[in-house]
Amino acid sequence: MGSMEGLFSGFQVAFSIEGILFVFLGVFIGTFIGMMPGLGPISAIAIMIPVTYSMDPALALVMMAGVYYGAVFGGSSSSILLNAPGISGTVATAFDGYPMAQQGKAGKALAIAAIASFTGGTISVILLMLFTPLLASVAVVFGPAEYFALMLMGLTAISSLSDGSTIKAMISAVLGFMAVTIGIDAQTGTQRFTFGNINLLEGIDFLVIALGLFALAEVCVLIFNRKDSSGGMSGNIGSLKLSREDVNEMKGPVTRQSFLGFLLGVLPGAGATIASFIAYVTEKRIAKRPEEFGKGSIKGLAAPEAANNAATGGAFVPLLSLGIPGSGTTAVLLGAFLVLGVQPGPLLVQDNPEVFWGIIASMYIGNVFLLVLNLPLIPYIAKVLKVPRPLLISLVIMFSLIGVYAISFNTFDLYILLLFGVAGFLMRIFSFPAAPFILAFILGGMMEQAMRQSLTISNGDWLVFVKSPISATLIGVALLSLIIPLLKKKPRLVADDKNLKL
Amino acid sequence: MILRPINRKLGLALFFFAGVYLFLSYQIPSYTYALVDADVVPKGLGFLLLILSILLFVQKKEETEQEKEKRTIPKKELYVLLGVAGFILIYIFLLEIVGFVIMTATFVFTCSSFLGYKKYKVSVLVAIIFSLLLYFLFNYLLLIHLPPGVLPF
Repeated sequence: MGSMEGLFSGFQVAFSIEGILFVFLGVFIGTFIGMMPGLGPISAIAIMIPVTYSMDPALALVMMAGVYYGAVFGGSSSSILLNAPGISGTVATAFDGYPMAQQGKAGKALAIAAIASFTGGTISVILLMLFTPLLASVAVVFGPAEYFALMLMGLTAISSLSDGSTIKAMISAVLGFMAVTIGIDAQTGTQRFTFGNINLLEGIDFLVIALGLFALAEVCVLIFNRKDSSGGMSGNIGSLKLSREDVNEMKGPVTRQSFLGFLLGVLPGAGATIASFIAYVTEKRIAKRPEEFGKGSIKGLAAPEAANNAATGGAFVPLLSLGIPGSGTTAVLLGAFLVLGVQPGPLLVQDNPEVFWGIIASMYIGNVFLLVLNLPLIPYIAKVLKVPRPLLISLVIMFSLIGVYAISFNTFDLYILLLFGVAGFLMRIFSFPAAPFILAFILGGMMEQAMRQSLTISNGDWLVFVKSPISATLIGVALLSLIIPLLKKKPRLVADDKNLKL
Repeated sequence: MILRPINRKLGLALFFFAGVYLFLSYQIPSYTYALVDADVVPKGLGFLLLILSILLFVQKKEETEQEKEKRTIPKKELYVLLGVAGFILIYIFLLEIVGFVIMTATFVFTCSSFLGYKKYKVSVLVAIIFSLLLYFLFNYLLLIHLPPGVLPF
């Protein structure tokens, strides 16, 4: 099936009444959850998984994709209105968005963010449509050794590129890999780390880990900040209209950063956070009046917004074409695919064209929804920020508990969820990033399987991983991405540093 | 004072954890004919964590102010956190006995009041509507059956 033909079939899924409804629901719920400070796309996707169990996989995944970019968009709104980024990918948005809101131009800032997000999102969908089948056609020749090398590269990239200490990120990844070794070994049937407990025979469900490490750990932070008033935002957000000069000023940064953001999104480990920071810094460097940045500059707001949305689209490329997530969020999304019985990878386009093209087509529609529906609705959606924190905390805890119970109907999993909530909180206070943990947990099982298959084929010869030029190159890149950050001092990405240097 | 920097304490704790994990990895039974057995990856991970914990212990990197700030939790807040954890434990224990609707409504009301929300009427209303809405959504629309407990429906 060619790209145009496939896209046409995808539009049939996305343009059906159910398709439009679920895209809208996904985008709306995503925006809603993404706006709540602390709750990002990972929590949003994880919370929504149980709702999709009995749904048609294509429609369910179309909705999940909507939740993902809706949450990224929602994060921008709370950055602008409250200076409280919902997710790390929208931290840079607050640098100029919040000063604009303080100057009484919140409406204008939201409109700029929406248009920049729409452009970034649309450009990235077009590139995603072109690149994914291309990469998938290359990946069909991959054997277990190449897959192992590719997953290793993805894992090391996220460990070395995430903010903060590289060693801590690596430890987090190793702990995630260790968590996946619990249960019955798929190849030999041996029990590992089950301590005779029958509840552990099937291992730990990824949703338990995702909700524990992210949603429950966020709840702890929300508990500490529960007395913060939702204030900061006045009732009046001002006009949403943009002048011709405003549009002219944002044109350049939006176009440039959409392409750059997409490329950074494709790279494993980079993602929306790094894309938005790099976009901000590059625009500041090339700007004629860099002193305006940090004081409400249109360029400073439009650039990271275009980049973070484009990166969201870019992150779908390795996920859909190789079946390998490049970030914590896409790892949870991969989990959602697997729960619904869809295996992303080189054969997705061939085996489930309605899912692949449905997601792509829904992104076009989802971007339009974000622009047309959310813009006038934002002042109303923003009222979610006024939900009293104690009530919000109780509801988020409940959503997490129900989400886990609905998969297993076993209270044992709820105790494990609480345990991972505590672990996630400890990781947070001791500055261990959680994304490498979840990524290793998702990739770990597949990596072990690929490694053992390769060694079985090669009759135990470990050189199998460097014999093929593709896997040798990928392992080389993985090693370099581990060694380089350990040798040189890494620049820190600090949220409140407006004179950011990379 | 050798353990003063927090990373040293963490390094040491992880070193012990890696030791226990390795010990358990060596207990995994192996098969003569399996080319790569079930214990290979766990052993590899155990040694990797051992090395990384040593690296964390010896690294000279100072903790940033931001990282230090994250760790400072007032004692009162810690008790609040433990209180919420206690509520969650009670909820899990009684969920299948008492039932979803009653337990969820009770949890939402009690937890929000405990966290300082004083508008009790709103709290009761939200708790009841939220638990009933979710119960009907899951049981009748999604066909995922949540425990009814003592309630007849």
